[in-house]
This record gives sequence, C-alpha cells and structure tokens, in this order.
Amino acid sequence: MFEGFVKPLFKPVTYAASEFGRVFFMLMEVAYWTFRGPFKFNNLFKQMEFIGVKSLGIVIITGGFTGMVLALQTYYGFRRFSSEGLVGVTVALSVTRELGPVLTALMVTGRAGSAMAAELGSMRVTEQIDALTVMALSPVKYLIVPRVLASLFMVPILTIIADFVGIIGGYFVGVKLLGINEGIFVNKMVRYVDLDDIYNGLAKAAVFGVILGLISCYKGFYTKGGAEGVGKATTEAVVVSSVTILISDYLLTSLLF
Amino acid sequence: MDDTTIRIVDLYKSFNGQKVLDGINLDVKRGKITVIIGKSGGGKSVLMKHLIGLLKPDSGEIWIDGTEITKLNERELNQVRMKFGMLFQEAALFDSMNVFENVAFPLREHTRLQQKEIKRTVEEKLKAVGLLAFTEKLPSELSGGMKKRVGLARALALDPDIVLFDEPTSALDPVISLTIEDLIKETQTRFQKTYVVISHDIAGMFRIADTVAMLNNGKIVAAGSPYEIKRNGQEAVKEFLKATKIPGFAGGEL
Amino acid sequence: MSSEFKVGVLVLMAIVVLFYMSFRVGKYGTLTRSGYEVVVHLPDVAGLDIKSPVELAGVEIGAVHKLSLDEYRAKASLLIKDNVKIPTDSKLVIRSFGILGDKYLAIVPGQAKTFLKPGDEITNVVAVADYDQMFRNVQSAAENFSDVMGQFKGMIGDQEKSNLKESLQNIKVVSGEFKEMVTQNKTNVTRIVSNVAQASDKFGPLADKADAAFTGINSIVRGVEEGKGSLGLLVKDETLYNDARDTVASLKTISAEIEQGKGTLGKLVKDETLYTDAEATMKSIKEMTESMNKGQGTLGKLMKDDTLATEAEKTMKKVQRAADSVQEQVPITVLGTIFGILF
Repeated sequence: MFEGFVKPLFKPVTYAASEFGRVFFMLMEVAYWTFRGPFKFNNLFKQMEFIGVKSLGIVIITGGFTGMVLALQTYYGFRRFSSEGLVGVTVALSVTRELGPVLTALMVTGRAGSAMAAELGSMRVTEQIDALTVMALSPVKYLIVPRVLASLFMVPILTIIADFVGIIGGYFVGVKLLGINEGIFVNKMVRYVDLDDIYNGLAKAAVFGVILGLISCYKGFYTKGGAEGVGKATTEAVVVSSVTILISDYLLTSLLF
Repeated sequence: MDDTTIRIVDLYKSFNGQKVLDGINLDVKRGKITVIIGKSGGGKSVLMKHLIGLLKPDSGEIWIDGTEITKLNERELNQVRMKFGMLFQEAALFDSMNVFENVAFPLREHTRLQQKEIKRTVEEKLKAVGLLAFTEKLPSELSGGMKKRVGLARALALDPDIVLFDEPTSALDPVISLTIEDLIKETQTRFQKTYVVISHDIAGMFRIADTVAMLNNGKIVAAGSPYEIKRNGQEAVKEFLKATKIPGFAGGEL
Repeated sequence: MSSEFKVGVLVLMAIVVLFYMSFRVGKYGTLTRSGYEVVVHLPDVAGLDIKSPVELAGVEIGAVHKLSLDEYRAKASLLIKDNVKIPTDSKLVIRSFGILGDKYLAIVPGQAKTFLKPGDEITNVVAVADYDQMFRNVQSAAENFSDVMGQFKGMIGDQEKSNLKESLQNIKVVSGEFKEMVTQNKTNVTRIVSNVAQASDKFGPLADKADAAFTGINSIVRGVEEGKGSLGLLVKDETLYNDARDTVASLKTISAEIEQGKGTLGKLVKDETLYTDAEATMKSIKEMTESMNKGQGTLGKLMKDDTLATEAEKTMKKVQRAADSVQEQVPITVLGTIFGILF
C-alpha cells in the first residue's frame, strides 16, 4: 500500500533526474566532439544562419516592443514621484540585465529550438541518424555540436541586438512620445548602467543558448514513435527549454551576478 | 581468410525482459547474398542493428572478418563500420541534401578525393542504379522506389565489403519490388560484395538469395540455399512458407 | 549570399552595437575604470551610493567607488580622474542635487601646492547639518526675521521717511564694506561659524527656545541697543555718515571679540550654568523688541512708500550676496539675515 502511494510520487522525480543525467551526458559528448577534428565549419555556419540571422526579425520586434512598453509602464509609475528621468535607467537595466537575454532565448527557443527538435526528430524516425552512425560518423558531432555551438554564439549576438533595440524603443517612447527630458533620460541611463550589466546579461544569454540548443537537440535526437513522436518531441523541447531557461535565469542571477 | 565474413555466435538480446534474440548462430558467406527471413517484429531489424554496432547484445559474439565487435568502443567500431554500407527501410536519405550530395556525402566525409573524382564516383553509382538524370532532385521529390535506389547508390559509394539491406522491398508495389530485387542481384553480381538482406518477402527474396536463414522466435531455425529451405521439414518453416502461398498462384510452390 | 556572409554581417553588426553601448556606458565602468583612489571618512553617507558623482566646482571629476564601514564611520573610496589634481588641504562636502535630489560629494579645493596621491585621505570633511536640521534652522531664522521685520515696520514714522531713504543708501555702502570685511576675514568667520554650528548642535534640544545663532549675536545686539539713540541721529544728520563707518569698525571689533571669545564660547557650550545666561539673553532680546514696538506711533505710515520697499529689497539682496560668499556654511545664512536686519 505504501509503495503504491509513494511510487507515483517518485516516478516524475526519477524521470526528471534521469532526463537531466542524459542531457548532461549529451553535454559532455558535445564538449568532447567540439574539440575533435576534423572541423567542418559549413554546418556550423548553416546553423548560425538558421538560429541567428533568421531569428533577427523576431528578436528586433520583441526587443523593441519590450523596451517601449517598459518605458510606458515605468513612466506611469515614476510620474507619481516626479522622477520620470529614471525611466531610461529602468528600461536600460531591465533590458540589459534581464529581459534582453531571457526574451531572446525564449524567442529563439520558440523559433529555432522547436525547428531543431522537429528536424532531428524526423531524422531519428526516418533512420537518418542511424545512417550517420552506420557511415561511421558521430551524429553528435555532425548534428548536435553545430546546433549547440551555433546557439551558444548566436543567442548572445541576438541579445546585443535586442538590448540595443529595446533601449532605442524605450528612448523613442520616453523621449519622443512622453516628452521626458532627453538629457536626463540619457545621462541617468549612461551613469547608472554599468558595463557589467550588459556583459552579465550576455553571459546569461550564452548559458541560455547552450540550454536551448542542448535540450532541443536532446529531445529531437531521442524521439520515439514516428510522426506523433516528432510532434511530442517538438512540444517538449520548447516547454522544457523555456522552463529551464527561466529557472536557470533565477539561479544564475542570484548566485553569480 | 576463410569465406565466412560474418559469424554470429550465441547472440542474446532482450528488451524489458522480452527475449528478442534467443541464441542466434549464423555464418554469412563472403561474396554471396544472404537473406534473413522472418516475421515482422520477429527481431530481424534488431539482429541487423547488432551487426553494425547500433545495438549491443546481452551476450554472444559477432565476428566481422576476424574481429569481435560487441566489445569494441565507438571509435574501434567506426573502423569496422567502414566495411559496411547499409540501405535502410525508408532509405534514410538526408532531407537537406539533393541526390548527388546524398551519394557524395560518405565520400566527402571519409575520403580526400577531389571534387572531380567525387563527381565521377557518384555518377558511376547513380548510373548503376539508373538514376543519373535525377542528381539535382531532393529526396522529398522522389518516389519510394527511387529513394531506395539512391539509398543503394549511397550504400555502395565507398565500395564497402558488406552491404546490409533492411526490408528493401517493403512498402513498394510488386513491380517496383521486382526491379529493386533485380537491382540488388545485378549490383551484387557486378561488384561481388557480401550482401545481407533481411526481409519477410519470401517469394521475392528466394529469387535472389544464395543463402536463406529463417528467423523464428529469436532463433535461426533453418539456414541453407532456397532449395534446401523449401525441403526443410520443420513446422515453423513450413508454416511460414505456407503463409505466403496465395490461392491460385504458383508463388507459394517455389 | 552564403551563410557565412549573412552570419558575418550579423556578428559584425552586433559587435559594433556592443562597442557603442560599452563606450557610452563605460565612462565609469569596468573597462575604462582608470583614475586614482582617494579615501575619505564620513560620519554619515546616507543617500550616497556607489557611483555617486564627485564634483569639483560643479564639474564631475570622479565617482564613489566603494563604501564600507570603518569603526562606526563610513569610509568612502573615491575614484578620481587621473588628470585632476586635488590639493592636499581640500575640503569635502556632501551635497545634493536640489532638495530631494541625489546626494553627491563636492570637493572644495584648498590652496596647498602639494596634491593628493593615490590612496591618500581627504581629512578635511566639512560637517553639514542634515536637511531636517537645516530646515529647522531656516524656519526659526525666518520666524525671527519676520518678528523683527514686523517690529521694524512699526518703528518707522512719517518724519523719518526721507531720512530713512538716505540712511538706506548709506547702509548699502556699509553693507558693501561688511561684505568686504566678511571676505577678508573669511577663515575667521568660517571658524566662528563652525563653532556656532557646534554650539547649535549642542543646543539642539533647546532649539525652540534659543536658537544657537542668537547666542553668538547676543553681544552685537546689546551694542546696537545701546546705540539706539545714535541711530536716530545718524538718520537725521548727513555728516554722520562717518559715524556709520565707525559703526562698521565697531562691528569689526565685535566680531573680533567673538573670535577671541572662542574659548569662552567653547566653555559656554559645555557649561550647564550658561544655559541660564542664554535665557537671559533671550529676555534682553525681548526687551529690545518691546522698546522697538513703542516707536510704533511715530513710524506709522512710512512703509507705504514704494521706493522705500525697493530700497529695502536691494539692501536685502546685498546682504544676501554677502551671505552667498560664505554659503558653504549654512548657519551663516542665519547670521547674515540677522546682520541684514541690523542694518
């Protein structure tokens, strides 16, 4: 009776733990193959284009509107204390430290992570991954390393863009639409935003890049059960990546920065 | 070297307590077509995945040209895999590459050939499977039979000693099946490689097989030439052969 | 276009943007964190923060780099730009942008020919009353001022109208000289003021009864009270302009006396019994204002004249300017106000 009661409770825990273990093992494999030749940069560049260049539009839109709405919201708050000048700082700090990296990572997860999981998933169910193995090629090296590396590099790159566009968006709304004094807006921002704020955000973005690349690839790579399995893998890739990004964001922010 | 290229000794494998391979013993002769016949879900694919190291057995040995492969690590295994070519059930062509690139892929990854030589080799293989006119097509634009042919050209690209075929005629209509069977026979005759085919299509395979092995309940119940198998008195063999008889046709009488 | 090209363009774009942002933000950031550090101990750094600016003559020359606790005092490390040399006898004041604005540190440069080296300490920290205290002082000063003004208003009668105008003219001159005097004796005044500030700190609890400033002014008031008759003469007689000069001279001596009385004042601060003296002083001030009140009838309508008002305003401005020159020490404003009233 006791066992019957406890088992269902433990099952998700053991599942999560072993899942984490397998993802970690895959990370080790990726690290191993990253530094083993022969290096073919073709694939890496293709993935960088897919993850980076093709996500640019959505990242610009996300970053821009985030900065704009932040300016709008904080303006209504700060106006009560006649400190509208602080809108710029608030927007810049929120965007560089938090929203830039997190929203970029989430958007890339939604756009590229899901696509990676779907692609690898369909390669798994049509035995293309086995075909690579049979050809004496490591599927990890050939398929996963370029994807993980590409998202490791491109998420920070996109985050820079998102940060910048977000601040511009905040500036546009704050200064041009709401009429906050430009000098105060900019000077406060420049004074109170530190280089560390930007670089810590980028460091987080790099971690998010690895997380989303790795989890999406993992979910796709171990897809089971045909076309239905691919759909399931895609959904799980997005959900698990997003949740992991948000959790690790909190951990990183509280522990490291 | 003797004429046995693959020797399987007492191979056991179970998934979740269910025995799939229950003591397989089989020799595959060099330069011949060996067909492993069995029911769907009877462990044929599992057996084939063991041959190429995609699965590890619970116990038993697999010898490829005098090398025992079940204890090898991934790197050593890759050395052995270089001897193999494999045609997958769904051809497993890379979706992102066109026909030419699919066939050229093993050459690019494993040889230092110049582009010109690669082109020559690829065209030779594609000509052998009769698809020279389709080099620029993507896999999604090909029919099932054409995909199989490209898959065969890719499997042959590196001139492997052993070529594995996983259900080469499944999901194909009878006419196309026939051409694929002919193509297998034809290329084998031309290149004189060892072919291992797994299939449940007794009628088709008996036409091309040099040796037939019957897999039933995780064991090889009979092995020999198609003629010998047909004369085999075992219940399991008889039953299987009977199942393929179609009333009014001679197929089952082969 | 190849993937390499597109990726390259994106990465380049991002690097340019990153450089731009780093450049804009990096003025006091980690990358360009150059400059030298000087240390200062402060009694209270509430409202100051890391990166609060350090200004000299209103120009930003650095920022607070570190704040820490050092034996019940706050220790602030300031990062000063390399090209700014600070004389060793410079003073440091905590100020704020506007009344509710952020605090910052101002450095008042000294005269020394030697300069602070990295790691040196600015020892001369000017204690500044915090805002609550300052507001209280200003309030009581303003109350006193309005009292006195009211009495002064009553003091002036019809006859004195034109004479007062003249005398105000004279006062202008006099206050100009007072200004001079203040600037000449700046250091002395500063010292007096800091003493007074100390005194006012000690008398904090009694603030509603006796503003510390009044203690310092006590003797001056008495002197003026005695010279009340002469003031009447001064107003009537043109030739008595010279007497005004004399008054200024005597004021000088008064302030010198205060200055000499520094020791006494120190004792005064400590001595409990002198509290009663302070009360007595308050009484005498009251007496004085009462006697001023008696002159009400004669000086009645004089205040209706516009020109007189503008003259008074100008005079006040003069006094204010004089006070401005010693503005760093807030209590002097109080002192200045009272001087203004006296003239």
